[in-house]
Amino acid sequence: MIEAHGLTKRYGDKTAVDDITFTIAPGSGTGFLGPNGAGKSTTMRMIMGLDRPTSGTVTVNGKPYAQHRAPLSEVGALLDAKAVHTGRSARSHLRTMAATHNVPASRVDEVIEMTGLATVAGKRVGGFSLGMGQRLGIASAMLGDPRTLILDEPVNGLDPEGVQWVRRLVRSLADEGRTVFLSSHLMSEMAQTADQLLVIGRGRIIAAGRVQEVIDSVSGAAVRVRTPRAAELAELVRGDDVVVTSPEPGTLEVRGIDAARVGDIACGSGIALHELSPRSASLEEAYMSLTQDAVEYRSTTTSPAAPKGANR
Amino acid sequence: MTTTVAVATAVPAHEARPAVLARPTFLGILRGEWIKLLSLRSTWWTLAATVLLMTGVSLAVAASLDTVAADPATGPGLAALTGAEVVSGGFQLGMLTIAVLGALLMTGEFSTGMIRSTLAAVPTRTPVLAAKAIAVAAVTAAVVALGTAVSYTVTMPLLAPHGMVPALDELRTWQVFGGTLYFLVAAALFSLGVGTLLRSSAGAITVALTVLLLLPSFLVFVTLDWVETAVEYLPLPASGAFLGGGEDSLSAVGDGLTPATGLLVVAAYAVVPLVAGAAALRRRDA
Ligand SMILES: Nc1ncnc2c1ncn2[C@@H]1O[C@H](COP(=O)(O)OP(=O)(O)O)[C@@H](O)[C@H]1O
Ligand SMILES: [Mg+2]
Repeated sequence: MIEAHGLTKRYGDKTAVDDITFTIAPGSGTGFLGPNGAGKSTTMRMIMGLDRPTSGTVTVNGKPYAQHRAPLSEVGALLDAKAVHTGRSARSHLRTMAATHNVPASRVDEVIEMTGLATVAGKRVGGFSLGMGQRLGIASAMLGDPRTLILDEPVNGLDPEGVQWVRRLVRSLADEGRTVFLSSHLMSEMAQTADQLLVIGRGRIIAAGRVQEVIDSVSGAAVRVRTPRAAELAELVRGDDVVVTSPEPGTLEVRGIDAARVGDIACGSGIALHELSPRSASLEEAYMSLTQDAVEYRSTTTSPAAPKGANR
Repeated sequence: MTTTVAVATAVPAHEARPAVLARPTFLGILRGEWIKLLSLRSTWWTLAATVLLMTGVSLAVAASLDTVAADPATGPGLAALTGAEVVSGGFQLGMLTIAVLGALLMTGEFSTGMIRSTLAAVPTRTPVLAAKAIAVAAVTAAVVALGTAVSYTVTMPLLAPHGMVPALDELRTWQVFGGTLYFLVAAALFSLGVGTLLRSSAGAITVALTVLLLLPSFLVFVTLDWVETAVEYLPLPASGAFLGGGEDSLSAVGDGLTPATGLLVVAAYAVVPLVAGAAALRRRDA
């Protein structure tokens, strides 16, 4: 259970997280979705007590993270694949973390095995690929066998097999009744990994709920109409909650009412329709529509995809 | 806006499953810092360099005793130099590597991002700094003891002809050896504190070496009264108050302080940056 109330973080005059309030119930995989720079990592660092909120509070299982008696058994976090000293071996890194909590050495071997790091555990982390770094981060998050897991972009840099592995891991952890909160800037990834979504853009929550609900709630669902009397029909259907656009002459896109209603209105006025087709938003369209006003680093070229790449 | 994600379905009985019964203790945190320190190659390099530098300098000084004694200009000054001071003669160079070790212990965590893992494991934060201080103090004490023992052994044949082999049953010998160890442990803690405050390796090493070595080296040429007084309160000159040291050594500047004051001044250099560092570590974002 993660609860945030009015959580805000400003760095100088830059507002990274802007007064967000949310609750993440236990026993589920919740995706934290948003374009780069939206404030995901900052929110997660505040949950972990690493960054101090400018205002607002956030608790994990009822208490601020720092007040838990056994923090690593309460919350395991992969905040940054690079949150490891490059000069140390993977095993030494895990041993230092384990020592603080008196976690037995056998558990270190267990998480090494679990994350498939056995063959490289003795090697220095400096030489690790991004994917190996992610696995080490997940191993270290699992050390204390925590009830809650916070994973910041866990599939970043993983090969397809690694991505599959993370998906299965998240599923099985959530099925065991743990709270898994994982972030991504890729909608398609979240749809396959999470049950619920929390969508953030420019530091604000812009949508939340079950994955399908979030997609459905987006105005991306439209009705496409082709008719010789387009202008007339547009006047008839236009209303307070109905938006009509005309992508090309003789064609309308109607948002706010369904296809049946458009057909009825047209019939009532004797307007012939040459096409009447409902278009449901695809995952990516839903995402784009949700975040289009919230993309921080919109590329100046015309690429419609959310910018990818390095993530703090 | 209130946003509740997830339908609060019945939660499986996960609470009843502590597969790992783990709890942080200060001893555990200390063990963690100890593993951290010893699992880095750079630690072993700096420790080896410290022993080599300490031994090398003491050997060089001991080897030049013949020439010094033969020269009528320097010969009489030799009487003021004790064998123990020759054996400990390399401590000023050892101070450099020890300072680097102390600074990197903290700045290495910030430069690599390790600090986030560290503070996630110990969100109360201050115990981490305390454990680091204990670990680096222990390692420094051990390596200085080793360096002194090696120096003592290798310089013995050279000191013997001058009757200068430090007498192990003399208090003065142990004052010099103990004072050297005390000073170098303080130097390690000083740079750890500076590293915690500054977070950057380059910045911390620069500041630590400036205060420890550069300032006394340069300011010693300034003859203004107040500068001369201020210099006495820099760590290296202050160490002269309890280490003695030859007329030409930088430590000799501190003869103006009593040994007790010298010890306190050096202790202040160790403690003040650590306390300030602890406050900064608690307050700042990681
Ligand atoms: N330590 C910091 N100092 C200054 N600005 C920061 C800091 N951390 C994050 N930001 C800024 O806050 C915003 C949110 O960043 P972040 O939380 O990393 O987003 P995300 O993880 O969603 O990509 C970005 O504009 C970023 O540049
Ligand atoms: Mg991020």
